Amino acid sequence: MTARTQATVSAALMCVGALLLTAAAAATISRSSVTYETPDVSLVRADGKRVSLPQELDDGRPVLLNFIFTTCSSICPLASRTLEEFQRKLGRGASKVHLMSISIDPEEDTPARLRAYARKFHAGPEWQYYTGTVAASLAAQRAFDVYRGEKMSHTPVTLLRSAPGKPWLRIEGFVTPDELVDDYQKLLASP
Amino acid sequence: MTTRSCLLPPSIIRPGGRPLLSTGRAAARAALIALSGLLWVGALATPPPSSLRGADAACVNCHRRSGLGSIEGHIAIPPIAGPYLFVPRGERLAELGIPFVDTARINHDPYTDESLARAIRGGIGANGKTLNYLMPRYQIDDATMAELIGYLKGLRVSPSPGVSTSVLHFATIITPDADPVKRRGMLAVMNQYFVDKNNAVARTKAPTLYSSHTTMFRVERRWQLHVWELTGAPATWEAQLRKHLAAEPVFAVISGLGGSHWGPVQRFCEEQSLPCLFPNVEAPTGHDSDFYSVYFSRGVLLEAQLIARELADAAEPANRVVQVFRAGDVGVQAARDLQAARAHSGQQIVNRVLPAHATSKDLGAALRDVDAADALVLWLRPGDLSALEKVSPPTSRVWISGEMGGLEQAPLPASWRAAARMAYPVDLPGRRVVRVDYALSWFRIRKIPLLAQQVQADTYLACGLVSETLNHMVDAFVREYLIERVEMALDHRALTGYYPRLTLAPGQRFASKGGYIVRFSDPQGPRIAALGDWITP
Repeated sequence: MTARTQATVSAALMCVGALLLTAAAAATISRSSVTYETPDVSLVRADGKRVSLPQELDDGRPVLLNFIFTTCSSICPLASRTLEEFQRKLGRGASKVHLMSISIDPEEDTPARLRAYARKFHAGPEWQYYTGTVAASLAAQRAFDVYRGEKMSHTPVTLLRSAPGKPWLRIEGFVTPDELVDDYQKLLASP
Repeated sequence: MTTRSCLLPPSIIRPGGRPLLSTGRAAARAALIALSGLLWVGALATPPPSSLRGADAACVNCHRRSGLGSIEGHIAIPPIAGPYLFVPRGERLAELGIPFVDTARINHDPYTDESLARAIRGGIGANGKTLNYLMPRYQIDDATMAELIGYLKGLRVSPSPGVSTSVLHFATIITPDADPVKRRGMLAVMNQYFVDKNNAVARTKAPTLYSSHTTMFRVERRWQLHVWELTGAPATWEAQLRKHLAAEPVFAVISGLGGSHWGPVQRFCEEQSLPCLFPNVEAPTGHDSDFYSVYFSRGVLLEAQLIARELADAAEPANRVVQVFRAGDVGVQAARDLQAARAHSGQQIVNRVLPAHATSKDLGAALRDVDAADALVLWLRPGDLSALEKVSPPTSRVWISGEMGGLEQAPLPASWRAAARMAYPVDLPGRRVVRVDYALSWFRIRKIPLLAQQVQADTYLACGLVSETLNHMVDAFVREYLIERVEMALDHRALTGYYPRLTLAPGQRFASKGGYIVRFSDPQGPRIAALGDWITP
């Protein structure tokens, strides 16, 4: 379940930018290319269906993955708004990329709560939300190196992958919708 | 622009019961911006780069209701209560009588009305640097800006009522319908906890040399407990509580004990902006949208959801669901919730209400027409469960309430044990033993009689949580901040007593979310086995 980091994240960039609200926005983002081993866990999709995480990730499409919880009032709404804008900016192309948001507070985030949250951010059909047992959520968080001890310690991380078997682009910090579209298009164009 | 105040509850108009700088529409509108963000719905959405809109852009989301900020991951969200914005550079908070808050940043020029407006509109801080991307940029006119700044200036940081320079006053609330044995058990724990706490304070000498902000600002205070025992009908309780609060102002209410009614206490806590932390209530009436009342669990109401889910998942649906409960007990609320949860199932729900003084004969009569095709849900206390001995289980689909029946100690007759499943809204005995033993050892050493184990363990946990939270709060004795810090402290807590996990957040007021369905393993005795995993219905 350990992550093999191909290009390590610049720790300095991460800390300087993210520590204070007074820090400049540009300094908060760092990107790295990472390979993760997907844990074989089952999750519950917002439509109530039990699904396999590897199968959801490997449906052939490019994937954008992040971790949220619905009662998070600061970081997550901004991250979710960014994905909403990302879908909007892609227009018709939005159907080609699978957006996945996994809850880090799965006991609270029932499928019904996730559906309401998805509606709030006008999630298109290609943007799906997942919950499940605490153990399954933790396994997913650990596999993608986003587990920070408890839900209030979470940091904004966006993960992008162009196809199954390819490395992930890990974006730490608050990426803007334009930057995210740019990252996505570059990732698709890269060999 | 029109105000939306008519759509909002009074707590939004008057946050925390605090007086706003001025009264009327202008002040209410400023509070709306800070607390609900509703003024931005539609036309005033914030422009890029920050794209939050509507209620998601409200100040309260990050800076919290207290205005004292918070911490999210690596991001320290600073206090925006007036005193923190306008501290002159180089001044020490302590010398100005401003409480220590760990996210306060005062190494910059103090804001002026102009520079604050620039920060709110353009995201440029007092020191000229761009604020974090998380901070929205608000497109608001001059008049609204003046109202908002006025509102922030009016956010008090002086200690709440019930806080003196040497004493923190707390209350605990006991309703007249509370179980007298549980009452004795709870009070024995609380009284001893307060004695221990004060002994520790007495041993602490004021530091003569200040090595850090924390020690410099820390002021150890004695804890004083006020026991508010209510009498008479529930309709009179709120008035009684208001009288108690006026006579004995307290910082917060810790623990407490209810019977079948807790609604008046819940309403009182919300109306008075008084934190009411983790009372022992089997059927709490609160909602996740409340602020000041927090509970360990939904108790029997959670059990109703667990059983409803079992009924829904049954391979062969029961013909009818027959619920048996006594009038005036919490089974009334549990049965109502189960019925509501099954409302759209098409399944017939039959409620058999036993009079408050029913005999075992009445219980037998209530079960007479139940047959093998029915499901039976028993919201009954130990005395009634014992009385089932005289009757055979009429169906193999029986559920009982763990909370009401006494968990694994429930005196369920041997003849019923194969048929009955129990809703069990706490961790399994083997898994919680280490966590609960911590409390039990504390009771043993202090010679506290063990009268009602779960109530006493929960009471001890509530006291411990408040104590731990207050350590983080240093000298910022603001009631809203207490709630906010409890939310944060709970996630870190390893010793969670009867519960496998406790978590809260804004919009989460019940810390433990699930339970098990269990079955007795033997014809006698407390051995149980879970039928499946922990369920969060």
